[in-house]
Amino acid sequence: MAVALVLYTVLIAELYFRVIDPQALMPRYVTGTPFGIRGNIPNARYWNHTPEVDVQYRINGQGLRADRDYPLKKPSGTCRVAVFGDSFFFGIELDVKQTFESQLERRLNEAGFRAEVLNFAVGGFGTAEMLQDLDRFGRQFQPDVVIFSWDDSDLLDNVRSGLYRLDDGHLERAGTEYLPGVKVSDWLMQHAWYRLIADHSEFYSFARDKIEFLIKRHQRRANKDSMAAAEGSATGAAAPPASAPPKDADTEAAEDAIANARANALQRQRNAELASALLLRANDVAHDMGADFYLVEIPWKVSRTEFTSSLDVLSDAVRSDVKLVHTAAALSRAARPDLELYFETGQGHLTPVGESLLVTETMQQLKSSPQMAGCRATP
Amino acid sequence: MLFNSSIFAVFFAAFLPLYLLCRRNVTARNLLLIVASYVFYGWWDPRFLILVAISTAVDYAAALGAAGKAVRPADLVKSAGFLVLVTMASLAFAMDDRWLFLPVAGGMAAIGLYIAAIWRLPSATQRKYWLILSLTVNLGILAFFKYFNFFVGSAATLLGNLGANPNIPHFSIILPVGLSFYTFQAISRTIDSYYSRFEPRYSIVNYAAFHAFFPQLVAGPIERAGHLMPQFEMVRPFERRLCVSGSMLFAWGLYQKIVIADNVSPIADAVFGAPAGQTGGATLAGVLAFTIQIYCDFAGYSNMARGLARVLGFDLMMNFNQPYFARTPSEFWQRWHISLSQWLRDYLYISLGGNRGGRLKMYRNLMVTMLLGGLWHGASWTFVAWGGFHGAIQVIYRMLGVDAIVKESRFASVRGFAIQMSAWFVTLILVCIGWILFRAHTFGDAVTIVAQLGSTTGYTASQFSTLLSFAAPLIVIEIFQRASGRLEFLTWGPFLVRYTMATVLILTLIAFSARGTHEFIYFDF
Repeated sequence: MAVALVLYTVLIAELYFRVIDPQALMPRYVTGTPFGIRGNIPNARYWNHTPEVDVQYRINGQGLRADRDYPLKKPSGTCRVAVFGDSFFFGIELDVKQTFESQLERRLNEAGFRAEVLNFAVGGFGTAEMLQDLDRFGRQFQPDVVIFSWDDSDLLDNVRSGLYRLDDGHLERAGTEYLPGVKVSDWLMQHAWYRLIADHSEFYSFARDKIEFLIKRHQRRANKDSMAAAEGSATGAAAPPASAPPKDADTEAAEDAIANARANALQRQRNAELASALLLRANDVAHDMGADFYLVEIPWKVSRTEFTSSLDVLSDAVRSDVKLVHTAAALSRAARPDLELYFETGQGHLTPVGESLLVTETMQQLKSSPQMAGCRATP
Repeated sequence: MLFNSSIFAVFFAAFLPLYLLCRRNVTARNLLLIVASYVFYGWWDPRFLILVAISTAVDYAAALGAAGKAVRPADLVKSAGFLVLVTMASLAFAMDDRWLFLPVAGGMAAIGLYIAAIWRLPSATQRKYWLILSLTVNLGILAFFKYFNFFVGSAATLLGNLGANPNIPHFSIILPVGLSFYTFQAISRTIDSYYSRFEPRYSIVNYAAFHAFFPQLVAGPIERAGHLMPQFEMVRPFERRLCVSGSMLFAWGLYQKIVIADNVSPIADAVFGAPAGQTGGATLAGVLAFTIQIYCDFAGYSNMARGLARVLGFDLMMNFNQPYFARTPSEFWQRWHISLSQWLRDYLYISLGGNRGGRLKMYRNLMVTMLLGGLWHGASWTFVAWGGFHGAIQVIYRMLGVDAIVKESRFASVRGFAIQMSAWFVTLILVCIGWILFRAHTFGDAVTIVAQLGSTTGYTASQFSTLLSFAAPLIVIEIFQRASGRLEFLTWGPFLVRYTMATVLILTLIAFSARGTHEFIYFDF
């Protein structure tokens, strides 16, 4: 009886979401890698369905989004561009031909370069995981150019991963692995019934997103609270003296708001310092392996026609030492009320048009990269 | 602590096992209810508890005295001891405000002198003075915390208009949540005791639990002692049937609040926040959104309060009975915030003479009652005007005899159907116009909004789609409730139907609840 009731509840819930509140079906095929971070499940084939797109993902045997495996040894006369990023560069909600990597490879070839663009991106990655991926896995593919994506979510992703920390301004290793939920996910993915639910159940999709949202909100608040506590101890803030005049509710509310804003600002500043250090390290690692390094920004969408830069938070050292690809202005110039540069359902990633604008801005800089000069098909 | 917050869920989860442990011992249960209610209320600001305790202490003794029962020195000690205890406990959480003990002690001394002065008066005279004490203290608290700056500011404006330039101070006074509700409830008990409609008993524990009962402390229903007080003097049932129906009622109230009211409020806020320059369509959407919001916000709270109380075995009165189906303004007030309407009718309208003394006096009494009813909602002339507007339309309806025409018409006949449907439509429009006065920040804003309703611009589908998507299920459910005569529709039908409705309701609460925790509008009244 109890089992029947549970099944009936699940059925009602599934029907509810299919009829009343349709959900995007976006299962995640992610597992652990020998490098202590997450990676795409090798050889996985799966679909995403949103009100705007139906996309199939094909992962190669090396965990890269591609239809073929790449030999570790670079073909002679060919330049390799290794792209690291999160879901924006993995190409969530995009057909493989529309991803940043595919478009960039096509444009490079059209511009006379013999080039391969490899998609190392994994949904949910922050800069710390990209760095680890580059250092322990990506370097084996002998890239000539390394591209990292940068968006605002990386600020917190880096803290959340716990792989690195800043010790008196110096970047230190803090952990060897970051594999959130991978054990559970691996166990579940072994079972066909789970894959069936993950691929097709809108109720499951809703529940998973809701739980993930709550966890991330909790982590954000915890991060903010720790920053507020750090600020309190740093500034010697203590309880007001007994002789302080009584405060009314408005004053207390205003003080709370100011403290909250300061905690937020402090949190952002500390997170930005960590991100900047990670990017400088990635720049060094790329240069050490003889590759050029570029950072491509994913702009912050304010509205359909307004975008702001996500690079402003980074340190002056990053801005002077790292080759930055600014894209917010290009998106703002191209924006029209009837044009979607980001999807407006599903998970709100860049559309093919949005990605192509990023590719155009990246191409402008890649053309003059000294590492790319050796692979021009037509001098 | 808001019902729609996670901290309340933690609070109730901790409270319920303790309640079940001691529910069979009336005194222990009531002590627990007092502590829980004070924690619940003190969560906003522990200093507010002092006001609840003042009202409790005074009305415990005043009701006994007003009823003609002996107020023994032991009762005065109980009252004073309770007040001192609560004051000390609340100030322990607000150490910066220890000075508040001085006005409390001063007030106690003044009341002590007052009681000493009336102690030897004849019983009949003394009863009246006990009633005056209750009215003075409760209305005094209300006048100071809610209306002081309003009256002083209005007087300053008036004197300024007359050419004077008085230097009148403005105090920064916090309005404690729910003040108007619990003071009115306390007053009604003492008045009922005075008129022998209720017999108060000698237990400050029972009374304090009744006075501060957390499900209805901050926004009613404003209960009558005759209905609720006896429930605090006996063991209340804890049954599966009550738990299920109480939980369903709570869930329905939560749906009204966090799914409907909180989701349509941005549409209303956009118009009432900056009325000038809005299109006709946007203005109409804003007014309709507020009409839905204010109903779901307050009726939602009332349902949650009744549901919680029912789980604990207590019965609270119905506060809303499908007010937007009303066919006349009088009927609207019989269906909207019923506990306040009945309070105003019994203690103000009838005290002024009610329907006795001729038509003109009846109209006067109606206008005075509605004006003061408007003022009860907030210290602003727009609330007074809202009350006045409702008073005026009720007077006009009575003058034209519309109430009688509607009452005598039969819905089943073509003529009756036409009369009732047009009467309903006109009443709904009048109520919506009233809400403009209620919600607008200034009279100028209200005039702007009414003027913009005449514009034919901006009537696009997108303007109304969000509002309609949240209002449509409510309208369908209300029609079902009216047609079936079952207001508590979630406990209707066979098990599978009830279970399915509950599942869908819970899924909707999870999927469509508005972001963040929003206060209830009526907490400010």
